[in-house]
Amino acid sequence: MAQAVQKLVAKVPSLLSAAVTYSKPRLATFWYYARVELVPPSPAEIPKAIEGASTLIKSFQSGRLGQITVKDAVRNGLVATEVLMWFYIGECIGKGGIIGYDV
Amino acid sequence: MVPPVAVSPLIKTARWSALLLGVLYGKQRFDYLKPIAEEEKRVEEAEKIKVEQERIIKQLAEANSESILK
Repeated sequence: MAQAVQKLVAKVPSLLSAAVTYSKPRLATFWYYARVELVPPSPAEIPKAIEGASTLIKSFQSGRLGQITVKDAVRNGLVATEVLMWFYIGECIGKGGIIGYDV
Repeated sequence: MVPPVAVSPLIKTARWSALLLGVLYGKQRFDYLKPIAEEEKRVEEAEKIKVEQERIIKQLAEANSESILK
């Protein structure tokens, strides 16, 4: 038992370096996309967002809803679902746990 | 590699404000649930102790009672 633990402990640095070499290029691609797509909006973009929201509401009111293709509607639905999921991720961060409240 | 796509500002603000709202909601609900759970735990402990004591009393009563069945 002690020998097995010793062997495992001796393998840890090589495992760590293998993990690092595996994840470095993937992290690089992640950063490549995240730096453009996932950044929070700069203060200059917020009025544009409000404008976009009002265009959306106006298009709902003018009945343009009937004109969108199913493909567009499904795509918009997926985007909306993704935005909702960020709320649940925020809730997990706020309650300090992934499943359930740790009371 | 596909070049990164320019995300519309509406989606960006919606995402990050949803994240912020989620953090606040989670923290608020946690703070609301914590004292309730502690109260419940306290009540449950008291109940457990009471049941345990009753069991002990019953056992002692049985041991001390005299009957010809023993």
